[in-house]
Amino acid sequence: MSPATSISLSRLREISGAAHVVEDPAQLTAFEIDGLRPTAAVAPASVDELAEIIRFAASEQLALVPCGGRTKLAMGMPPARFDIAVSSARLNRVLAFDPGDLTLGVEAGISIAALNAQLAEKGQFLPLRVAFEDSATIGGIIATNSSSPLRHAFGGPRDYVLGMEFVTGEGFPTKSGGRVVKSVAGYDIHKLLIGSLGTLGVITRVNFKTFPLPPAQRTFVASFAAPEPVLAFCRALAQSVLQPWLVEVVDPAAAAVLSSDAYRLPAGKWCVVTAACGKPSIVERHARDLPGFAERAQAAEFVALSDAQKSSLLGRVREFPRHARDASPAATLVRFSVLPTQIPALLSRMRQIAEQNQLPLAMLVRASGFIFAALMPPEKNADTLRRLTAAAQEFFRAADDSSARAMIEWCPSELKRELSVWGPPRDDLALMRSLKNEFDPRGILSPGRFHGGL
Amino acid sequence: MDSKIIRALEEILGKQSVLSAREDLMMYEYDGSIEVARPDVVVFPRTTQDVVRIVQLANRHQVPITGRGAGTGLSGGALARQGGILTVFSRMNKILEIDIENQRAVVQPGVVNLDITRAVEHAGFYFAPDPSSQKSCTIGGNVAENAGGPHTLLYGITTNHVLGLEVVMPSGEVLRVGGKTLDTPGYDLTGLLVGSEGTLAIVTEVTVKLTRLPEATKTLLAIYETVDDATETVAEITARAITPAACEFMDGWTLRVVEAWVHAGFPLDSAAVLLIEVDGLREAIEAQAAEILDVCKLHRAREVRVAKDSKERELLWKGRKNAFGAVGRLSPSYYVQDGVIPRTKLPATLREIDVIGKKYGFEIGNIFHAGDGNLHPIILFDPRDRGQYERAVAAAGEIMAHCIAVGGSITGEHGVGFEKSELMPLMFTEADLDAMRGVRHAFNPAGLLNPGKIFPFGKGCGEVRVQPFPITPATPL
Repeated sequence: MSPATSISLSRLREISGAAHVVEDPAQLTAFEIDGLRPTAAVAPASVDELAEIIRFAASEQLALVPCGGRTKLAMGMPPARFDIAVSSARLNRVLAFDPGDLTLGVEAGISIAALNAQLAEKGQFLPLRVAFEDSATIGGIIATNSSSPLRHAFGGPRDYVLGMEFVTGEGFPTKSGGRVVKSVAGYDIHKLLIGSLGTLGVITRVNFKTFPLPPAQRTFVASFAAPEPVLAFCRALAQSVLQPWLVEVVDPAAAAVLSSDAYRLPAGKWCVVTAACGKPSIVERHARDLPGFAERAQAAEFVALSDAQKSSLLGRVREFPRHARDASPAATLVRFSVLPTQIPALLSRMRQIAEQNQLPLAMLVRASGFIFAALMPPEKNADTLRRLTAAAQEFFRAADDSSARAMIEWCPSELKRELSVWGPPRDDLALMRSLKNEFDPRGILSPGRFHGGL
Repeated sequence: MDSKIIRALEEILGKQSVLSAREDLMMYEYDGSIEVARPDVVVFPRTTQDVVRIVQLANRHQVPITGRGAGTGLSGGALARQGGILTVFSRMNKILEIDIENQRAVVQPGVVNLDITRAVEHAGFYFAPDPSSQKSCTIGGNVAENAGGPHTLLYGITTNHVLGLEVVMPSGEVLRVGGKTLDTPGYDLTGLLVGSEGTLAIVTEVTVKLTRLPEATKTLLAIYETVDDATETVAEITARAITPAACEFMDGWTLRVVEAWVHAGFPLDSAAVLLIEVDGLREAIEAQAAEILDVCKLHRAREVRVAKDSKERELLWKGRKNAFGAVGRLSPSYYVQDGVIPRTKLPATLREIDVIGKKYGFEIGNIFHAGDGNLHPIILFDPRDRGQYERAVAAAGEIMAHCIAVGGSITGEHGVGFEKSELMPLMFTEADLDAMRGVRHAFNPAGLLNPGKIFPFGKGCGEVRVQPFPITPATPL
């Protein structure tokens, strides 16, 4: 151990207590990112401790990566340097929950499952039904801007995060936004932190709007022989007055991934999963009208699911990235932001690309404008990695040609040597770099993990 | 200002697009607030390239530059506080693209808010944010201030409906951020720019989301004998997690003022009314309206009227949306605030405002977005009486301090501008403000863009509306 390292460790022990500093290399493997292992992991008990750790790191030029449930450390590029993993494990309290105001303030380390369980006691919830629900934390979900099927009805975190507190790369505890449902005082810096992968600040508190749990809900599956009618169905639905909470399109390969013993999606079909929630009369209305939409789009079948079937299917839809990742040793999951009208052409081009590169492909489409495409080669070797790289590059080109934006959410570390998971740089990169410099002038927060090497 | 700059602007834009005579400039020294600041020159660009050339010229001469839409803002955001070039977007008012299938529109900043809805309602869509000034305010101003409105309760404020921007940076560079698609990877610069009050970049194009018109709408007017009954109704509607599309409060004083002008049929003898609207599927609004009716009755509503038809509905909304104009007929000036509080604190806060009013000897009118907890207390006073002015400012300060003390905000939708910049330290620490200064520095290092806004100088001033020469409209609008 170098003298510098031992000074670092003793300082971390001083700040947070030896019991909350992990130094054992074997234990530190749990904090590895793309094979890079930090020298230490520390779990501060308070914002003050965290700020002190960051100030120390800044003065010593040590690189930090914030982490929560560690479910998404594989996202982004490998850090350029990685000295200390800062865990939010001890910053996991509900700081304010005012059910009468439908507002909430929580520390970053609370898990979404624990939080939604607490909210449910008051009949409320956050529409963040995201992958890795059992261990993902609010901090990680926000920092990666995790997508939820409920985005269809509720928008993303940018639409219901009211404000945030965070510690900058210089160790200043800072906040923006507010705690009430409406505030336009000052710049919405918290919006920058959503999806910033820990590169601008370490999130310590997030204030949310909460929503009432629906008294009734029902989930429907319409299946089709081909992709075109599926997408016609989705378009008709989008133009209608109906208000489903989610509309997810599943291609035949994804249908296989999402099927379980509790519920099997029709084999070889393109399926649309929709859910209607709210007062029983609203759910009834959807149950009455949706079959007509399906029929007009020439659906092969339209069914309403039982509660058990629904739980299984929606759970697996939510966990699609995880199931896709588990289905292949070299799974590569690409997320596209795309306009609904561009979806059909982009899907067919992606299928061509996968076929040309002899890679199995499963696709889940969020009808409001996202495609999750999982390339799942059965083996991981030099040849499959080469084909994955080629396919990923073509995916980026396809996105460009369809005015879409793509990023690779998951891929083998080896691919990150060949390409940036964030895709080609854009015009606004220089501005993003200036912002990064303002918040983290010493470049110690997750250096190199983000878009354009930020 | 150096006449060379004015001549250079005339060369860039043509003489007909540049105003520099004193009497012309006076038209641009006001907005909807009472602050006054005269620009040195007013220009009317037609294209993004025009804006680029204006910005480059401002840079060369180190002259401040401020954007302006219709000038309806309520916080001094569109005033050239430090003089310089006022860039007015009234000629950049084209709707560039309407994409019904993807539910998007691309518009220039000078497009009037309501005109977006007018352009798409035939297809069953609308632009959801509806500031009271929506018949005249522009989308560029909405973006700058992150404007709200009555229906933001259910549908969200401007930021929730803006996906992409074209901006001219203070350097003159043209940049596109965000786009038509959702959740673009990278920092959410669009989210940052919306509500930045024109201090970071000049917006030259806006991509907005369109919303499906609801199948049905129902508008209720609940009438109360006491203010407490009305505010407790709002608190309970929120606590029961019923989210109407809009839930507006007007106290007896305000609605008598409004009724005298608009003749919407507001009850003149009541202490307060709630204007509540539900929209959505037919089944949904029937169920919601029934629930709301229950809550109103539980809290002793004297009567709950349901608008019979769209004409009656429009009349009720006309009363609400023109309320500030009606108040303007009564007094040489008024002071309107924009504080926000948790909805659970509404009854106690209204009582507190009443106490504060009595303490300072003012009758304070209340008309506000109750469902959001976004207050707009109005203090009438005569600014020519220095004592009254000072008491009005002191009373307002106490109300604002109360909002912050219960966990609220100094502004829910009007923006900080230069009226509330001195109140920022009530909400934000020096470290918070430094982070915001860092953001401004990243975009606008020379500080030429809309200087003197948002950040405190340390000099006291309030959100005071002063009309030295009150003008009473001859006929109701």
